[in-house]
Amino acid sequence: MRVMKIFACMNCDYHSVTSKYTCPKCQQGKLQETEVSPKGTVYSFTDIHVAPAEFAHIAPYTVALIQLDEAPVKVTARMDSEVTIGDAVELKGLEEGAFIYTKAN
Amino acid sequence: MTNVYVHGVGMTQFGTFVDRTMKDLLLDACIQALNEAGNPKVDAVYVGNFMGGSIYNQEILGAIVANELGLGFIPTAKVEGACASGGIAVRQGVLGIQSGEYETVLVAGVEKMKHASTADVTQAINAAMDNDSNEKRAGLTFPGFFGVLANRYFYETGASKKHLAMVALKNRENAMQNPLAQFRKPATLEEIMEARMITNPLGLFDCSPMTDGAAAIVLSSKKSPVHVRSSAQSSGPTQMQDADDLLSIPAIKESGRLAYEKAGVGPEDIDVVEIHDCFSMTEMLAIEELGFFAKREGWKAIEEGRTKVIGDKPVNTSGGLLSRGHPIGATGISQLYQLVHQLRGTAPNQVEGNPRLALAQNLGGTGSYSVVHILERV
Ligand SMILES: [Zn+2]
Repeated sequence: MRVMKIFACMNCDYHSVTSKYTCPKCQQGKLQETEVSPKGTVYSFTDIHVAPAEFAHIAPYTVALIQLDEAPVKVTARMDSEVTIGDAVELKGLEEGAFIYTKAN
Repeated sequence: MTNVYVHGVGMTQFGTFVDRTMKDLLLDACIQALNEAGNPKVDAVYVGNFMGGSIYNQEILGAIVANELGLGFIPTAKVEGACASGGIAVRQGVLGIQSGEYETVLVAGVEKMKHASTADVTQAINAAMDNDSNEKRAGLTFPGFFGVLANRYFYETGASKKHLAMVALKNRENAMQNPLAQFRKPATLEEIMEARMITNPLGLFDCSPMTDGAAAIVLSSKKSPVHVRSSAQSSGPTQMQDADDLLSIPAIKESGRLAYEKAGVGPEDIDVVEIHDCFSMTEMLAIEELGFFAKREGWKAIEEGRTKVIGDKPVNTSGGLLSRGHPIGATGISQLYQLVHQLRGTAPNQVEGNPRLALAQNLGGTGSYSVVHILERV
């Protein structure tokens, strides 16, 4: 995947990977969709050993909060391997609505 | 504005009660609270509950309480706000009295969890995440959120897993003195640190348990020795990826700020605190967000023992969610149960020096809801 869709406020500096009806920061602007590179670095992470029923079959698995390189946006993703803070990562694909990231070479 | 006072509190034993029904637990706590209040005429009932529908197939809890207790054809409602259901229910009672609509309100909270499997309960708790989000679909869980937060907190401060364990140990030591607490067995720092990993870096003792239990409180505009000095509530981002600062939970901070403002007091005036320690990490962060300690320095206060019963800011003298237990809908009310006893001078782990101001903070979701109540001995 080459792009990550993000949403930027047309009135202030708010950015998010999720769309909102009105900007939660200035409460005035509308959000406009834009595209950036999905590349980023691991801001933080956890390895989930005890999972809800729907994910129990893949536990333990790693979920990371990824800081995108090209925008002030963080994205929650499942990793395909263990990571640590500061690791460079890239988007591998989408799986049932989840972003799957992998360590960058 | 109409003042609101506490007239009675009730609480069941917290723990595993597979043989007791939800109604049985709920009525037990209500009857205790009503008896303590002198069985007043009740004008409305609010019940805090989160997963009665999803894992116990029981709703209409408000009507059940009114009917079973013979309170008459009064208005009732169930209040849902994830783990803040109980605190929000109390706030609805306070607002109902302040509006002039009611004189006396019974608020109760209940949860039945121990009959279900951990996977099913974890799944049901995940109802407090946004189903449509890529975040939930990535497999993030509630413990997972606080695990991500803890790893970043460690990265940015001098804190480590030992500090999380110190929170868990303090709350366990407090629970050992609380006859109603779920976990009263002693634990050691080593045992806590080496326990089974739930979601790195949070181990078993860092996570609040599944619990059966109920708690209740009677509020009235008639005077009593315990005044509800303020009630405040806030919302926050429902997703981790929307946090402006991962190491801040805006709902906690804002609900605290509003509660202090309405009460005309500051964090320095509070004598005893019950905080929503759904995870040891949450307590570390909440003591910062509520202004008791500087940002990124909560871990130092814990290391220095300042949040112990004998410290200058005693936190979770009941044992907290971690060891008193966390029957979700009852939790916010059980916090007030402990604080009312602290103000009366009858609490387990009674704080010395006749505490006058007490603060309870109840959190729901990954920072989606936070409620703060400040109680005052008058
Ligand atoms: Zn804006």
